[in-house]
Amino acid sequence: MRNLSISAALICLALLSNANAEEKMSMSDADKAMYAEMLENNPADMDVAEGEQLFSGMTTLDAYSKMLGVKEKDLPAYISGFPRYVDAAKKVVTLSQTIQMAAADAGKTVPKLESKEMLKMTAYVKSLANGKKTSIDVKANAQMKEMMKLGQEVFEERRGGRGLSCNSCHSPDIIGQRLRMQPLPDLGVNRAAGTWPAYRMTKSETTLLDKRFQQCMDNALLAKIPLGSREMVGLEVYVTNKTKGNEIQIPGLKR
Amino acid sequence: MRIAIMLGIATLLGAADLSQVIESPDATAILKKDALPAPKVYAMPEGCISEDPAVIARGKYFFHNLNGKDAKDPAPEGLVKMLPNGKEKQFGNCVACHNIEGAKGYGNIGPDLSNYKGLFMDSGARKAEFVYQKIADARIDNPVTHMTINMTNGLMNEREVCDLTSYIVSKK
Ligand code: HEC
Ligand code: HEC
Repeated sequence: MRNLSISAALICLALLSNANAEEKMSMSDADKAMYAEMLENNPADMDVAEGEQLFSGMTTLDAYSKMLGVKEKDLPAYISGFPRYVDAAKKVVTLSQTIQMAAADAGKTVPKLESKEMLKMTAYVKSLANGKKTSIDVKANAQMKEMMKLGQEVFEERRGGRGLSCNSCHSPDIIGQRLRMQPLPDLGVNRAAGTWPAYRMTKSETTLLDKRFQQCMDNALLAKIPLGSREMVGLEVYVTNKTKGNEIQIPGLKR
Repeated sequence: MRIAIMLGIATLLGAADLSQVIESPDATAILKKDALPAPKVYAMPEGCISEDPAVIARGKYFFHNLNGKDAKDPAPEGLVKMLPNGKEKQFGNCVACHNIEGAKGYGNIGPDLSNYKGLFMDSGARKAEFVYQKIADARIDNPVTHMTINMTNGLMNEREVCDLTSYIVSKK
């Protein structure tokens, strides 16, 4: 029954998104009602559950903690601080990249960053930190300082088909203004980093934060920066730092 | 075999170097290719501004549409929605940021361009050259603008910027 109502809601949404541009951009009453319903039954809960199965089929939290150099009981607090410098990686990495390390450490096939398995496992691992506050430390060491600087550069660099940057639409002076009918969100108070991976209703899928960046790049005609690249990790550091102190609630639910 | 043993020992010591298994592609070439050229001053070409309804119709279409896939109405004479290479044509999507006569679902990041002729042109506050440059490369007038860049990066050609300028300064 519960599944049925979700898929009915999704069909409505699919119909809505075929409607004209104006309706697509705004949140109609029907959208809002569905949002309320999905807050109760977030379709991404399933992805988190599957992520747990995939992860435990691959390694244990004990081995994962050891690899990261932390005690298992401190894992949630440690996870809330990503992206961060990890000794075994010799660089600043995202949570997804630590899952690649965990796979190799356990002698298993390393999942691709783009894969569904990776999305699900990242959602699961991050959900271990639910209730904690994002605690990224961009001054922790030279590597973090460097990635923060790189991230800001990438965020502010105008490029692509329309000469836009992330900052064109997400700079503090235009938060709350409208692009078409879509209010521009504050990437800070919006809890951006604490709420991804999230289910995106307009895409009917669960998405990672860095994949969400890529969706903005696509929409604004910026060439897509590949997942895992220094620039992408830097961008994640920069955006996550805007939301430092926000509560982690995985999976999130987005328009 | 020896590698396997060494890996095994490394794991035992808890100091495995896992840096090599992390997917970490190089994005510098992508970003270099995507870079925006330096701000550029443009001279408005001779005969740029026109009251020809066909010109105004094209400018209007550019203003109100994002791209050929997104556009609902048929393209006016002299414009196509799809390019020969199978990709959709990119339009101006000015309405994402600006209100103007008849705009639907417009944004408000940029100023309202309604009655532009009456308010800005007839009063002498603005010249067509200003509007042309603004659309071609908005950074000349405002280095920290949030507006899109349309000519310096090759999105639009002279005629297309002229069509848009003609539409904005026309009586509606
Ligand atoms: C042309 C405008 C534009 C550009 C350029 C742009 N964005 Fe966005 N972005 C938006 C809009 C509009 C939304 C909200 C969409 C929605 O709610 O469906 C958004 C949403 C987001 C979100 C989700 C916030 C949340 O948690 O709900 C993130 C993260 C984000 N953008 C990051 C970026 C990054 C990083 C870049 C640059 C690579 C970028 N954006 C470029 C317009 C833009
Ligand atoms: C992402 C937002 C955005 C988009 C898209 C955009 N503009 Fe703008 N526009 C602005 C902002 C912000 C300003 C005011 C600040 C400035 O002048 O740079 C502006 C200013 C202008 C002005 C100057 C008005 C005056 O007299 O001062 C004109 C003309 C204009 N835009 C036309 C266009 C056209 C035509 C398009 C589409 C090709 C377009 N804009 C697309 C944001 C945008």
